[in-house]
Amino acid sequence: MVLTISLIFYASFLIFAVFATLLITEIMGSVLMLISWDNVKSRVLEYIVPIWEVTGTFGVFWVVVVDFSFPSILIPAAHIYAVAIMLFLILIVARNASIVFGEYIIKRGWLDEKKLYMAYSASTIALGIVVLVMLSSIISGSGVDLASGVFNIGTWLSSGGSYAFILGTLLIGVGLAPVFYGLKPLRFIALPATATGVTLSILSYYLYLPSLVSPMILVPAILTLLVPVLFSVDKAYSIVTNKLVFATVSVVILFSLNFLVYPEAFGKALPVDSVTTSGPMASAFFTITLIGGLLLAAMLVIYLFAVKRSLGGKLTTASGK
Amino acid sequence: MVAMDVFDRFLFAYTIGTHIILVTMSITLIVLISIAEFIGIRRNDQHYLTLSERLTKVFVISFGVGTASGIVMAVEMINLFPAFMTLVSKTGAIALFYAEVFAFFLETISLVIYVYYRKAFTGKYTHWILSIFIALGTIGSAVFITMVNAWMNSPNGFNLPQFIATGQVTGVNPWAPFITPTTFAQVAHVITTTVFTGAMLVGTYFAYKYLRSKGNEEKAFYTKGLKLTGIVSIVGIILSGLTGSHEMGTLLTSQPLKYAALDLNYLPGTNMPERLFGFLQNGKFVWGLEIPNVQSLLASFETGIKELPGLTQFPAQDWPPLYIHTSFDIMVTGGLLLGLFLFILAIMWIARKNPFGSKYMLYAQGILGILALVVYELGWMTDEVGRQPWIVYNVMRTSAAANLTPSLLVPGLLIIAFYAVLIPLTFYFFARVFNSRSLSEDLSGKEPSGGVNY
Repeated sequence: MVLTISLIFYASFLIFAVFATLLITEIMGSVLMLISWDNVKSRVLEYIVPIWEVTGTFGVFWVVVVDFSFPSILIPAAHIYAVAIMLFLILIVARNASIVFGEYIIKRGWLDEKKLYMAYSASTIALGIVVLVMLSSIISGSGVDLASGVFNIGTWLSSGGSYAFILGTLLIGVGLAPVFYGLKPLRFIALPATATGVTLSILSYYLYLPSLVSPMILVPAILTLLVPVLFSVDKAYSIVTNKLVFATVSVVILFSLNFLVYPEAFGKALPVDSVTTSGPMASAFFTITLIGGLLLAAMLVIYLFAVKRSLGGKLTTASGK
Repeated sequence: MVAMDVFDRFLFAYTIGTHIILVTMSITLIVLISIAEFIGIRRNDQHYLTLSERLTKVFVISFGVGTASGIVMAVEMINLFPAFMTLVSKTGAIALFYAEVFAFFLETISLVIYVYYRKAFTGKYTHWILSIFIALGTIGSAVFITMVNAWMNSPNGFNLPQFIATGQVTGVNPWAPFITPTTFAQVAHVITTTVFTGAMLVGTYFAYKYLRSKGNEEKAFYTKGLKLTGIVSIVGIILSGLTGSHEMGTLLTSQPLKYAALDLNYLPGTNMPERLFGFLQNGKFVWGLEIPNVQSLLASFETGIKELPGLTQFPAQDWPPLYIHTSFDIMVTGGLLLGLFLFILAIMWIARKNPFGSKYMLYAQGILGILALVVYELGWMTDEVGRQPWIVYNVMRTSAAANLTPSLLVPGLLIIAFYAVLIPLTFYFFARVFNSRSLSEDLSGKEPSGGVNY
């Protein structure tokens, strides 16, 4: 029974890791577009335009999996994150609408492709920050009063860990963006930004709750630092900028962070197993996941096949060609 | 100050009311795209191929905004009605949502390949087959979501009396919600009416464009478009009528109170008249028309049931708002009007006349496409309001499921304002991308018109 419950948690966390990876790659592209639109647009849009729909679908996937896996947390979560969730919703609609309009717009009047992609970038980054605020509080319990179902943004802001968490994560994003999008001229910022980001992230966990920092943190930290290191080595360049490789590594890194919320979340205040589904619902979860997962895997194979054929046999366009 | 449960209901009704417009467009567009591409390949007809490509661009926008709107729906349900979603998550109803996600993946990934990687497929029919996968995913998503709604109307898969008495979910059968007494009737009616409504709406735009066409080429193009939407609409309304009649029969057995409210039956009885419009005043039917025996005849024909239910058989606090009788009658009257138009259209085609050579038929198509959407929205309103005061019929009241946090108010109002801008803007973009290139450019087939414009 305990094993089943754990498996449900790990399955849902894996789906979260995939969703977060897709979202992070979009946020990295958004930052780059905001900073240097003319120089990066073709490289970034080449990736983002086909993938943003898949990100959204994984977002829905994760939301439904959370509903399925942790039914007892829904009422408290709805109260705690009522405002954050509403903001998230507005931003997701803004993100989708601006990118899909930007994709097909023919300039007429003041509205053009650039403005719409800027709106997309801004809303995607804002969306990421809302998600980060929620995640940091789920990890640390900062600002959350589980008993009364309230999230106090003032309390959250009064913790030094919150600033370190947001800044650290954003810096990791800035550091890894040139890697993912194969932007050689920005090689020099990759390692310093990522290393500072990783340090700040670990510091944030310590500031929130010293017991959150365990030896397990070394796995994601080393893997994350390895990416910009390999980016600076010419022989490894094409491997690390391969989007599939990068995404896989990112999923592994994010998945390895599961110890921050399991077996207890909200700053060790909530035992996750106590709110996880069990019994016949758990069996149904695994059955549908298996059937749906096979369908999804088949679709992804066809997708990769199509991408490969379209790109003349390569699975990356960011190899510096 | 507005009560928060009323606000939650209003907000959800508003967002779902706008969301279904996008869903209607998406479901219908992929059906039209697939048929147009098939005809285009089969007959080597550039008009149909161009139509398919142009509609694909519109579909991508509809999908993009619709996906976001779908996420809003999924999350709003947790945020606005957490007790309801907790019940859903502890029973097999969540399995329907879960299955829906995989249908959604089928739609998304097929669409991405169909639109952005068409060069990967050299065979014309291979590319067309992808449209079938998109359609399966799109319609599959709609089917699973409608199954959730059917479960809300006729809940099963757990110990209902135990839950009502104690609030504890026990005796769960996670697969039962896949088949409830109302599932087939509701799914069949929703899918057919959705495709019908979308086809009429797209037809409205084609009629408008035809009226504004200057050259013969444009006229020929939009005539083919109207032919396509016309045929889909005709098939759609026939199936909508049949499934609608079947759904009324299902209501009679599974939701007799809703049935009694729809037909304004104050007392139960036999040989009941069909009541058109009107109201109940102290138990008496006033300001409406009664056609003797017709209600009983229809019910008997559909279900064999002779004794029809009346409102007095149920506690007054469980009655839905009785204005659903009026919304139902407007829906049926609108449906009949649409049926009449499509009947004339079919007759003209059978008589080998060009119906769209007549300005009046084009105007009628233009106006009736909008009416189809009104009828469709009224249908959903009737269904949802007809289930009130329950969010899960006879199990959980909407007021008990609602999130009463006042902090929802401001972001909720922002969502309302945002949608008010977004939906007209989305339709504006539909039109803009549909006409982003001149018809002659598209027909020349020099470069694919789909894709990214950077």
